[in-house]
Amino acid sequence: MRFPDNTDQDSALSVSLDFEPEAGPSSVALNNDLSAAVSNGNGHAVSNGHGGPLFSNGASSSTNGKLTAAGYASKGSHAISRVSLPGTKLYEDSHVDREEFVRLVIQSLRDVGYIESAATLEAESGYTMESPEVAEFRECILDGSWDSAEVTLSRLGVSDDESLRMARFLISQQKYLELLEASNVNAALHVLRSELAPLNTDVDKLHSLSGLIMCSNAEDLKSRAKWDGAAGVSRRQLLANLQRFIPSSVMIPQRRFASLLQQAYTHQRTQCLYHNAPYDSSAFSLYTDHHCSRDSFPSLTTHILAEHEDEVWNVQWSHCGRYLASASKDKTAIVWHIGVSLHPLRRPKTGPNTRDCIPEKVLRDHPYPVGCLAWSLDDSILLTSSEHIIKMWNPKTGLCVRELDAHTETVTSLVWLPDGSGFLSGSMDRKIILWDVDGKQRDTWGTTVIRVTDLAVTPDFSRLVAVGIHHLPSSANNSAVTLQDGGTPPTGAATQASTERRRDVENRLIIYDLATKQQEVSIRLEGELTSVKISQDSRYALVNHAPDEVQLWDLDSARMARRFTGQRQGKHVIRSCFGGVDGNFIVSGSEDGNVYVWHRDTGALLEALPGHGEGSVNSAAWNPKDERMFASCSDDCTIRIWEIPPPEMMEAVGSPMAEQNGKGKGRSRDGWDGTG
Amino acid sequence: MGMRYRQYLAGTRVYGCSTCRTHLATIHSMLSRAFNGQHGRAYLFEGVVNVVEGEPSERQMTTGNHTVRDIFCVKCGTTLGWKYDRAYEPSQKYKEGKFILERNLLVDVQ
Ligand SMILES: [Zn+2]
Repeated sequence: MRFPDNTDQDSALSVSLDFEPEAGPSSVALNNDLSAAVSNGNGHAVSNGHGGPLFSNGASSSTNGKLTAAGYASKGSHAISRVSLPGTKLYEDSHVDREEFVRLVIQSLRDVGYIESAATLEAESGYTMESPEVAEFRECILDGSWDSAEVTLSRLGVSDDESLRMARFLISQQKYLELLEASNVNAALHVLRSELAPLNTDVDKLHSLSGLIMCSNAEDLKSRAKWDGAAGVSRRQLLANLQRFIPSSVMIPQRRFASLLQQAYTHQRTQCLYHNAPYDSSAFSLYTDHHCSRDSFPSLTTHILAEHEDEVWNVQWSHCGRYLASASKDKTAIVWHIGVSLHPLRRPKTGPNTRDCIPEKVLRDHPYPVGCLAWSLDDSILLTSSEHIIKMWNPKTGLCVRELDAHTETVTSLVWLPDGSGFLSGSMDRKIILWDVDGKQRDTWGTTVIRVTDLAVTPDFSRLVAVGIHHLPSSANNSAVTLQDGGTPPTGAATQASTERRRDVENRLIIYDLATKQQEVSIRLEGELTSVKISQDSRYALVNHAPDEVQLWDLDSARMARRFTGQRQGKHVIRSCFGGVDGNFIVSGSEDGNVYVWHRDTGALLEALPGHGEGSVNSAAWNPKDERMFASCSDDCTIRIWEIPPPEMMEAVGSPMAEQNGKGKGRSRDGWDGTG
Repeated sequence: MGMRYRQYLAGTRVYGCSTCRTHLATIHSMLSRAFNGQHGRAYLFEGVVNVVEGEPSERQMTTGNHTVRDIFCVKCGTTLGWKYDRAYEPSQKYKEGKFILERNLLVDVQ
């Protein structure tokens, strides 16, 4: 918006600015405490008599009368002259439009309460944040002057009739709700019939609005309409909703500059490969691009847990992050207590984090190797599976509470429901069973299409994702197989039949609706699928796919979003997980003995961490309470705890370090190796 | 080395271990019923799954000298039959790489 480009008016402008001494309404975050949002310096909110909150920025309080027109006039002695600049861009070689930029700056200034600066900038640049009509419209909405609002709306450049109709509907809807809130049912009915009904073709919407008349009181109305009343943020919410029908060049979206900066932050964060800093940290400054260093990535083995007597197949952290459960081919599971890091005075001056890692309970009495582990939400129950048997343990006492014998083939997955009210088991016997916390069967998926090799539930409770093997109905021509007697060499028929068998098997990823147990999507994949995990936002499934990749599937679109390559899984069950702040990392085991780590959003391979001995790294698990720690387990019978290297290590990567002593409890060894 | 799930077979007829019902072979890969094992009748298969192979040993059979390995059920460890590594008689060469499962140790599974 430009003032008329009339040089005659230049001098007049600087003294006749008709600004109200208030911060722009865009300063009010919808969910923020108003007084907190406006307090600035020694400022105190004052009322301007028409309902909208006013904001003052310290020295120039409007109560002292300085900001009256006379006040401006009196400052006319240092009148601000308008600066005339060539072109329309912010810089000669930039794409940023100067007017847009300046208007956003003015908006930001008014938002925080630098009212005079904003006025000065408007005068100096010749741009106004918005036209008087917009300010008026905003005031009408915030004051609840619905008739004036409608009139002003028509002058805001709403481009098409449809948009105008929708905007009108939103305003009338607010009017209707406020009348109901004030128990003015007759007037509300009138609005419903004469304004809302003619404007809307959506019968359901009208129906639900008219139903609100039955509300017994204002509280009932608010809860059923999911609306917080005239005195709440509903008018500001309405303003935000109206925004999409009004050209943003006319009415600038709220806090626009901050939105752009937030986008820059998000962009920098997704580009930050080693990003592992909490969201609210000082890691983000406007002065420089954000970047997390590799130093804060847990690339160093700080502890080696060596108590198992055979391959370790799985690891799982308790929700409190202080216990680690491990499952082994040696027919035991171990509950490890992973202590807090020793007090700086008690630990060596140099060297990595030192903590006690104690095998607290060894859970024996499994008839076969242990495959799965799952901690209940409150960590009071640990589930293990051994072939077709599920066991429920008290991890504190190490005693088996219950043994569940409902599956007939290997149990391949155990997962608790997001609310902890029960758990699911999946098995090669094609059964998925829902159990309650007491180990009683609550529900079952019947016979699934696939032999389940793993399953997971989305945190939002909407979906169950299962992977497994689907045996196609045999298409082989059975009669063609001629049986030979022992003395006569057979024909090639049988050879053919055996290759036929392989083609009768396919691997599938199946997405179920958790509530209805109905299959949403079934996707055929090439390789064997050995693991599935769900992202925190419930949108993606992470799937290990033989022979050499981990895939990220978008559950909404049922498309593969990304693949992470480099790891090996020719024939073994290898598992992966999300890790770090916001699940920024993907970690997987591998048959080559390395732990693989990728950047989730770009798929870039960050680390192939060596250290484990002969055989596969079978699984990895990120500590849910410490974003700088994860565990891996291997055929080498050990579990490794990975943490960030100490600062001095950064200076001398690869230099031989003294073995840390004194932690000889159990057979856990404390050692560490450079990863350079 | 490493964790592996047992393989599952499908088809008109699947033979499993009589002790633990682990899937072993399908009728499609059966080459002959005319063999004899330690416990009577035995079948020759093109391929079997879920077995562990033992050390090779020389064995004199009615059809000549062979190098064979005992095969065990991967889950319960039962000795189920053997695998032919090598047949010395030219007429018996077709057995090389094939498997014998004893009929009395098999059960139909699905
Ligand atoms: Zn068996």
